[in-house]
Order: sequence, then structure tokens, then C-alpha cells
Amino acid sequence: MAGLATTFGSGAMTNSINEIENAEVILVSGSNTTEAHPQVARRMLAAVDRGARLIVIDPRRTRLAEYSHLHLALRPGTDIPLLNAMMRVLLDEGLADDLFIEMRTENFLALRDMLNRLDLTETAELTGVPLPLINQAAQLYGRARKAVICYCLGVTQHVCGTENVQTIANLAMLAGHIEKEDTGVDPLRGQNNVQGACDMGALPNMLPSYQAVANQDYREKFERTWGTRLPEAPGRTLVEMTHGGAQGSIRGMYIMGENPMLSDPTLKKVEETIRGLDFLAVSDIFLTETAQLAQVVFPAACFAEKSGTFTNSERRVQMVRQAVAPPGECRADSEIIMALSGRLGYAMKYDSSAEVMEEIALLSPIYGGMHHDRLDQSWGLQWPCWDRGHAGTPFLHKYYFTRGRGHFMPSNHTEPGELPDREYPLLLMTGRIYHHYHTGTMTRKSERLNRECDHAVLQINPEDAKALGLRQGETVRLLSRRGEITLAASITDQVATGMVYTAFHFREAPINLLTNDAFDVGSGCPEYKVCAVRVAKMMSS
Amino acid sequence: MHDVLTTCVYCGCGCGLYLHVEDGQVCGSQPSRHHPVSRDNLCVKGWHIHESVTHPDRLTTPLIRKNGTLTPATWEEALDFTAQQLGRIRDQHTGKAIGVLTSAKCTNEENYLLQKFARTALNTNNVDHCARL
Amino acid sequence: MPHTATTTSSHLLKKDHLKGFLRKLAKEYRLVAPVRNRHSDVLFTVIDDLDAVEIELCEPPQNSLKQFFLPQQEQISTYTITLEGYDFRPTQTHIPPTVYFGVHPCDLSGVLYMDVVFSRQQRDPFYLRRRQGSVLIGVNCNSPAPNCFCNATGSGPFLEMGSDLQLTDLGDRFLVEAGRTSGHALIERWQGFFSPSADKDRAAHYQTFLEARGRFSRQVHVEQAIRRLEAGTVPDEVFAELSLRCQDCGGCAYLCPTCTCFTISDQQLDATSGQRLRSWDACTFAGFTGMAGGHNPVQAKTGAIRQRFIHKLRDDVRLNGRPSCVGCGRCVSICFGGTDIVRFVERACQGSL
Repeated sequence: MAGLATTFGSGAMTNSINEIENAEVILVSGSNTTEAHPQVARRMLAAVDRGARLIVIDPRRTRLAEYSHLHLALRPGTDIPLLNAMMRVLLDEGLADDLFIEMRTENFLALRDMLNRLDLTETAELTGVPLPLINQAAQLYGRARKAVICYCLGVTQHVCGTENVQTIANLAMLAGHIEKEDTGVDPLRGQNNVQGACDMGALPNMLPSYQAVANQDYREKFERTWGTRLPEAPGRTLVEMTHGGAQGSIRGMYIMGENPMLSDPTLKKVEETIRGLDFLAVSDIFLTETAQLAQVVFPAACFAEKSGTFTNSERRVQMVRQAVAPPGECRADSEIIMALSGRLGYAMKYDSSAEVMEEIALLSPIYGGMHHDRLDQSWGLQWPCWDRGHAGTPFLHKYYFTRGRGHFMPSNHTEPGELPDREYPLLLMTGRIYHHYHTGTMTRKSERLNRECDHAVLQINPEDAKALGLRQGETVRLLSRRGEITLAASITDQVATGMVYTAFHFREAPINLLTNDAFDVGSGCPEYKVCAVRVAKMMSS
Repeated sequence: MHDVLTTCVYCGCGCGLYLHVEDGQVCGSQPSRHHPVSRDNLCVKGWHIHESVTHPDRLTTPLIRKNGTLTPATWEEALDFTAQQLGRIRDQHTGKAIGVLTSAKCTNEENYLLQKFARTALNTNNVDHCARL
Repeated sequence: MPHTATTTSSHLLKKDHLKGFLRKLAKEYRLVAPVRNRHSDVLFTVIDDLDAVEIELCEPPQNSLKQFFLPQQEQISTYTITLEGYDFRPTQTHIPPTVYFGVHPCDLSGVLYMDVVFSRQQRDPFYLRRRQGSVLIGVNCNSPAPNCFCNATGSGPFLEMGSDLQLTDLGDRFLVEAGRTSGHALIERWQGFFSPSADKDRAAHYQTFLEARGRFSRQVHVEQAIRRLEAGTVPDEVFAELSLRCQDCGGCAYLCPTCTCFTISDQQLDATSGQRLRSWDACTFAGFTGMAGGHNPVQAKTGAIRQRFIHKLRDDVRLNGRPSCVGCGRCVSICFGGTDIVRFVERACQGSL
């Protein structure tokens, strides 16, 4: 989310989910929306039924691409040149919103100069998308009165993820498609409370509400309330922690409800790091792959057994209400944390999650008006919500950007960390599928979801399959420089020749054994969307 | 027999759903009609969310590794041992030697408490979650 | 209008006394009624405290009565694994006698359809033990909701058969018709609440019906779609196009008051015991027809919704003389891909695309 923070000032959806239904043009990039965000796709299809135009940027012919008016099947990792080309078309056609640029943004000249140096034909060739198609897409987007861009991990999980996002922001600002209802830039968040975890300062460089750890004033504010000195230097990111190696500087870990042993790139390194720790404690609801390596495992209450709040993709903070008592000896994570903290010499005593939220409201300006009694009586509130009298914010950046002026951040093409070569000739992309969620810890326990889908498949183009002599459903070996798994081949023209695709939900085929640990310096996001692999028959060596 | 309105955990859409409770067990789910996101329907994951809540594989007791195997333990044992181990690492190597992963599946309040715990009790900013995965 | 038949007797119940009547019923029965909760959703709810709830008789509840008679998930037996094999013990459940109050005609029709399904050939003990001893008190629909089309499926907006008592809102009073002996018995038992109806009340009832019939905002040509399905003149492309848009959520079947498909699965609880569960299923799921070895006779991509509409609009007409869609409109406008039954009927009637 570093990309939107630097350009707009807030790394979150600028619109509400329901606004998407009212857009005239919807540009979707790197999002398999029908499978990963069904409710968002529902709005997109409803908009299309009402006459909206849908543009899908995706290397794969996803279901959404089938419904689209324009499908730009770009070569993976060429988002920046594609969007730059679209912007150049906007400039050439006089579709740039000069007034908006003048009044609301800065650094436009840098972008204009960069775009003017662009050779359109060359750029189009680089992306693999025909120039007339780029032209059409740009004109559709540029001429619309209400246009939204939705993007997801297909944009961010690249070495240049931050630049990809900045380029999307550039496009929206150039066309003036921001600040209005039904118009904006919408990153769709993958997990249910990933927005909230970021908001709560579960980040190595940010205290709650995006108040930088490095800033002394912010630190002092927290120190006064928390009654203790806080460390000054920003900490390590997740990938730095899980890829330190057996003798890394991290000696002990506490992991709450996460499963890096399936979710993180280059799993071999993760396993080596975790096995090399002096101590690991995990709290979770099932014995995950990560918990199996722990010294201590705490049985946690699940969402149905505790109360609190989640923040969804559209910044809506909503109540989680306890329905039943936790099974066996399970305890809510808040109780576990308080018990540990007391033992470690820092007493925490909260009688309820509502009391915790009162402290959050006290210290986090964007959550300033979030109180459980208000949230309980409504469908939640969208941040920023400054105080008790504030009704929340359905769409962001009206009148001014969070950071003041929108900042254009021009970028050029960056090659992925690893591209196919003679030895590993295929490009692997990973993602999600409809029936499962993240590492499958919960969904794989569901009888029905497993019946619908209980194994990983490798999507491969008919031509590539033919060259390898593969039959539909045949079990194949998939190899990269980092590891090997076996899984079933699914022969489909959803993927173009030269690329394959699979999901990361399945412990039986842990695709992250293969993925590359190259990552985006700006955000710490691993490059899950591109690495080089080879497919082999089971019998061959 | 009653229905409790809560928020789905299966993606960032954040549907409002009712958990159907009978005899203290969650045995069904249904969408909220007036909720701004769910608008009277859920995806296949939300419709079957109860199946993972009640699954017999749920962890129900603390475990401590003894002679190489995870063995049931009391809460006191597990909490004492964890606090002692994390305390030892913090005191010997400073907080920089401890890493904390919070969860994009847990509540805001829990995330807040865990990052506060990391920054105060453990004296480290090594706190993150899989935001980008 | 099937105007008040001679076999039914009609009475009046003043609205002021409705709560008193329900309170009497609640002493002897478990009471279930549509309740508008504090989040403004309307759900059929078990009422423990009549004074703490707001009963909503106008906006149709979001759930039907299906979940009370065929729960989304129900343990039907437990088993232990012995040396000799599996030892099954059917799960005993005590379902208290229940009054279902405020049931709209569509949902009433849904229950009557389920009665047929679960007792036509084999009597289903799990369904019947929940259904037996239940009292249905219906309320006719004076103002159909925007998605309603029960006028096109012959299941509303007014019904006079099928319930034990049938209420019609006449402003300050309900006209109460007792269609069955059990209904007469209820009126007999608490006769102080009821007074005889006069001709003017029955005239007001008829007038109300006429007005209700004129308030539908949709014209859905179910009859025509049925004829075309029977004649085989609905093009395959209609099914293919709609199937391609199906997002596989199962919501239409789960919300439908007449979708009764279920799956039985065993779940091991520990090394020596387990439970057998029955849970809702949907014919739109690929796994519904998936076979061992991976073959599936239904082409998921182009045939997902074929079974659903053919069953409801053709096969059930052949079997029962009427469609099993009751026009409640629950599946309308909730579909992720916009492939609900109303759209199907529209497309089917258009003929070619």
C-alpha cells in the first residue's frame, strides 16, 4: 500500500464497494474479482448490465475477462509500460484533466516529460497488447464521467509493486478520476482484516493510524499513554523475519493466527529459519503447518467465539459478535496476550474489547470516533472517522488529498526478478481460487468446500500441454530453481502459451516451495506473480 | 435457537452474516439483507462458514513440545514457559531478536494489543503480518 | 380470487388483541414469527419474550420456514466404530410443538411443497418430526414487495387453504379464516379474542385482495416459460449464457423455500466415533453431480443452472401439476451474476437470443 500512500496519502480504497455499481467505466487490473472478491464482482456485473464498460487487465482470460468489453492480456510484469502508454494516449487525445492537475496535484511535469519521451509502438510491443486496444481502453477510461480502477495482488506482488500502484494513481489523477463519488482507485484487500491490521500498527515502521515509529512526537504520544519507553528504530518486515536463515538475528517468535509455512515465498528458507529459532509460540485455531514447528501452541477462540471489530476493504469498521462459547479450553487471543504481557512485566488489563477500542480511538486519529456502541448500532463506520459526531467517510480525497496535493510518481519498466529461460521456460503466476481462503486452514476443513475443490491444479495452455504430451488431469511435476511439487494439470486457454498458473491454498502442493523471494523494496511484497518454472511428466527425470 | 449478526472472515469484502446457533453450537449461516455489502447473499465460503467453526480438528488445549512432540499442557504451564522464553531472549539479545507476527484474520483489538505487547513488553518494532500475501 | 368458500368460517380479531392472543399461544407452543431486529433485518425468529420484539408482517422475512423443518445442517445420527463395524445411533431431537405465525402465502406454499417431497414415497422421519405438531398461521400479502411474483406462480398474494388460520389485514382488525379443524379448535379455545365477521368485513377482504393483486411491480410470465420448456423450445444458449454468469454461490438454492436437496456426510470426531450430518446442497454446485474418478455428467460451465430451472418449472409441473417456484422473489436481485429465475423466464420467453 506504499504506492497509494506516497501519491494520495492513504493506502486504501477511495470508494465504497457499492459505488462501483454506479461507475460508467470500470478498469480492473490484476484482480480475479469473481473468485477473490465475489461481492465486488457482483457490483461490476450489475454495472455492466446497466451499460457500464468493463476493461480487464490480466495476463489470464479470467471469468471477469470473459464478461469484459476490453481484455488487455498483458505480458506479466509489464503493468507500468501498459499504463504509461494509456496515459500517453490521454495526453495526445487531450483527455488529461488540466484543471484537476493544476488545482489538486504536483510533480505533473515530471510525468509529462517521461510520457512524451515514450515510444508508443515500442511500449505496446513490450506489453504484448496491441496498440489499438490500448488506445481504445485509454479513451474509454478518459472520456468517462465516472470511472473506477480496481486492482489487487496482481499489481502489487511484483518487484515493482509500489511503482505499479503509483502508476495506477498517476493514471487516475491524469484523467481527474478521483475525489468524486463513484470514481476513484480501489485496492481490493485480500484478507478479511488486512486493512485493520495495517490500521492498528501491525507494521514494523508504523504505530496505529499510520503514525511513523521514526517520528519522535508520535512516539512520545504513545509513550505517555502506554507508560513506557518505545524502541525508536523501525523493525523488520515479515519476509525479513521469516527469511533470516537458521542463524539469523531473530531468535524467538510469537505468531498469532498466521501460517508463514504455507503463505510465504521460498518455503525452504522459511522452514530453515523457523527450525533455527530458539523459541516459537503460535496461537491458532487449528494445528497449522507453522504450529507444528512450535514449542508452544495456544488454542485460540475463532471469530464466532469472541467480540471485536474487523475493517473491510472499503475501510468499514464493523462488529464481530460472539455467538457461542469457545470449545474446550480455547481462549481469545486478547486474553492470551494480556496473560503473557503481565508475566513479562508489562501489565495490561482490559475488561472488554470495547475498552481496547476506546484506547485505539484515543491514540489513532482516523479511528477517533470509533466506539463499539456506535459500531454496534450501525453497519459500521468508514474511516477516517475523527470523533463521536463524525459519520465516517464513504469516499476519500474530496476537496483535498490526505497528503495535501496528489503527487505524480512517474516510473519506467522494471524487469521481474526472474524470467523464463531455457532451463525453466515457463512463467509461473500464483493466486487464489473461489472455494478456498488463504492457506486453507479453515476452508480446507469444510466438507462442502472440499467437495467442490480439494486439490491444486496447474493451469497450462493447450499448446504447451501438447508439446509436453500432457493429458487433462494428469499429475505433473512442477519445478523451479528453489523446489518441486506435484499437482494435476488443467489444460485451458485461460492462460496463454508460455505461462502457467496455480493457487497457494493447498498444503499437498505448497507452491511457495517454488516461488521467488525477490520482493518489492517499497512495500516488502514478494513477487508471487512471476517466477520461472519447468513442467515435467511424472516418469521423466 | 437464535441468530447472531457478525462479520464474515473469508475476504476483504466483509459481508454481514447471521450465525445460526442451536444448543450452543453454530450450525448454519445466512446473509443479512440490509447489510451494505452482503445485500442478502454470501459467496460459497460464507454460506459454509459454520463448517470450520465446529470442526473436530479444532485445537482445544495448550500444547508444549516435550521430547520432540507437542503434548497437552495446562494454560499456566504454557503461558509461564512462553513468558520465560521470550523474556530470556529479550534480556539476553534485546527485543531486536524477537519477531512478532500479528494476523490479518484476527480482530482490530487483538492486532492492537499484540503490536502494543511487542513494542512495550518485548521492546521491539519487529511486528508485521501478511498484508501483502 | 378463490372467494371465501363455504367450508371456511371467518372471524374478526382486533389488532389491539393480537399480542394477547399470541401470548396465550406462547404459553402452550413455541412461537416463531417474523421479527424486525435492531439491525432492521426481518427474520423468522423463535420468540422468547413477546414484549421485547417487533413482529413485522409486511416486509417478507429474509429466511423462509425451510430452516425450521430442514435445517441447514442437522446431525441425524452418531456412530461408534467397533470391531464388528459401525454402530449407528439415530440422534434424538425433541422439537416442541410450534406455532409459526405471520407466514406469507409464498412461504406457506413452500411448506406444503416440502410436505409432498418428504412424504410422497418415503416418509422422511427427520423432516416429519420437526413438521408434526406445528401450527401455521398465515397472513395474506396486502402489499407485495418489489421482487415478488407469487401472482404468476399461483401461490399468492392471498391464500385460503393450507394454513391452520389465515389472517388478512383490514386496517384495525384481521379477518381470520379457519381452514382446518385445528384452526377451528384454536378459535374455539380462545374464542374471547374473536368475533363473528359480517358481510362488510368479507367485502373489505375482497377489496383488499383486488388492491393487492394490482400492486405487483413485476409481470413475470411463468406460465409461458413453462409451456416453452414443455415444448422444448427454450434454446440451449439461454441455459449456457445464464450458466456462464453463475458465480457458484449456492445462494439461490439456500434461500429458496422449495429447494430441498441435501447431502449426507460422515464426520469422524475421534478414533472410534463420529457423526452423520445432513446439510443443504445445491444443484448448481459442480460437486453435486461429480462422480468418483472426476467425471461430471453436467457441464459446469454451460449447464450449471439448467437443472434448477427445468426441475422447478417443468418437472414439478409434470409431477404435481404446478411449478415449485412460489414467487417469493428471494433469489431475485441477490444473484452475483444476475441469473435468477425471473431473468430465466424473461430469456426463455424471448425465445432466441
